[in-house]
Amino acid sequence: MSQIRVERLTKHYESREGRVLALTDVDLVVGEGEFTAIVGPSGCGKSTLLYILGGFLRADAGIVEVGGRAVSAPGVDRGVVFQEYALFPWLTVAENIAYGLSTTGTPKADRAAVVERFVRMIGLEGFENRYPRELSGGMKQRVAIARTLAYDPQILLLDEPLGALDAQTRETMQDELLRIWESTRKTVVMVTHDVNEAVYLAQRVLVMSRRPGRMVEEFRVQVDRRQGREAVMLSDEFNRIRNQVWLTVRRQVGATR
Amino acid sequence: MKAIARRWGSIAAVLVAWELAVVSGAVDPTFLPAVHTIAAALWELATAGEVWTNLLVSTYRAVVGLVIGSACGVAVGLMMATSRAANGFFGPLVAMTYSLPKASLVPLFILWFGIGDTTNMLTVFLATLLPVVVSTYHGVKAVPQVLVWSAQAMGTSRGEILRRILIPASLLSILTGMRIALGFSWVLTISAEMIASKTGIGKLIFLYGESGAYAHMFAGILAIVAVAYTADRAMIWLMHAALRWHDAAPAVGEH
Repeated sequence: MSQIRVERLTKHYESREGRVLALTDVDLVVGEGEFTAIVGPSGCGKSTLLYILGGFLRADAGIVEVGGRAVSAPGVDRGVVFQEYALFPWLTVAENIAYGLSTTGTPKADRAAVVERFVRMIGLEGFENRYPRELSGGMKQRVAIARTLAYDPQILLLDEPLGALDAQTRETMQDELLRIWESTRKTVVMVTHDVNEAVYLAQRVLVMSRRPGRMVEEFRVQVDRRQGREAVMLSDEFNRIRNQVWLTVRRQVGATR
Repeated sequence: MKAIARRWGSIAAVLVAWELAVVSGAVDPTFLPAVHTIAAALWELATAGEVWTNLLVSTYRAVVGLVIGSACGVAVGLMMATSRAANGFFGPLVAMTYSLPKASLVPLFILWFGIGDTTNMLTVFLATLLPVVVSTYHGVKAVPQVLVWSAQAMGTSRGEILRRILIPASLLSILTGMRIALGFSWVLTISAEMIASKTGIGKLIFLYGESGAYAHMFAGILAIVAVAYTADRAMIWLMHAALRWHDAAPAVGEH
């Protein structure tokens, strides 16, 4: 069953040079429990598309539905992880994770247990009472993901969630994300500019054109991820798709200006 | 020890140079009383109780004006930052009055309210209101969009966004505005008292200055400086306590 449906979506934004067409005729269908990655040249509007799904921005034209209902505002059915983490710096790790629990009506008595479970999941025991400024980039990102998972949204919208991390932390976090997705089977839409990351994590990779963005190609990734990172990364299937996606993106980057 | 020397060294140096200049006869004590004469005058005022009652009166005026001015300043700043209509209404008024020297309105206030507390407090109120409005407005405007978005994504209602996100996120800016306002509150209290009061440390300084008792005048100035300095330290301590989470929180030993 499709959980996200976007049809003929168009979006402009105002800039100093006037009205800019950011997205045009975008179609997107994401099934329940599916992990979809969107890649494309920078500035192609992939983050804008995610913000529209999140309900932060409104489309100028087209259909945007989540769970069969038109998206008109942000909602707790869609959890969002932003590239810059967007943790609340005045709240501790535990308070950040508990934030969504307070707004979604989890009884106070149960919150501590949920927070404890997620702190353990992201391996930050002992850091519960630290403020975000005392954490490394990787730790902040783990808290941001835990904060979003804690109130249990059905859909995860990830905007380059690992973009600001160093290569090693990034790989660890990718495996973490994969593990979380396999154990929760949430619907995930992830925007990234990293082709390897997209193919490694997602069941389906969509490539967008350069601005104005639209969907140009779709790749299904059928690799058995349970065999571990090395085996996947070295497999012929992974590399074949990775190369195709990379070439498609590259053609978009180099497309006539 | 070193830290104390660093903080108080320059002040001690100035006092010693001042004292030497007068005692050595390089400066006529009629124009500038020696430090020890001022100390004696301060002791005299303090033991006679004169300085305490007047400090109390001035502090009362400054604090009432500051508290009401800051509270209104935060409210107006928040409204301007979150509502286009409020910004359209208050914006031009703030821009027009921001650089107006508030002390120049004292004669008008005397006409309306006479000499005394109301005139003094109103002057302080106006002087503290504007910096708090401006710093609150800019603080809220500078809150990163993603913080608001992620709060909305997690189900925070519009009304709650203000309390749970915008105010804490702009707290450094708001408190910095209040610290500036705190400084203004003393300046304006003293200035207003000189023109429009029968009591207060400003009046005391003015009277002693007018009658040529310069050592006593300096003693009055010293007393208000001590109070203002202590209040500023307390404000820094408050900011430090409220902003432990902040990257740019002022450290307790800072200026």
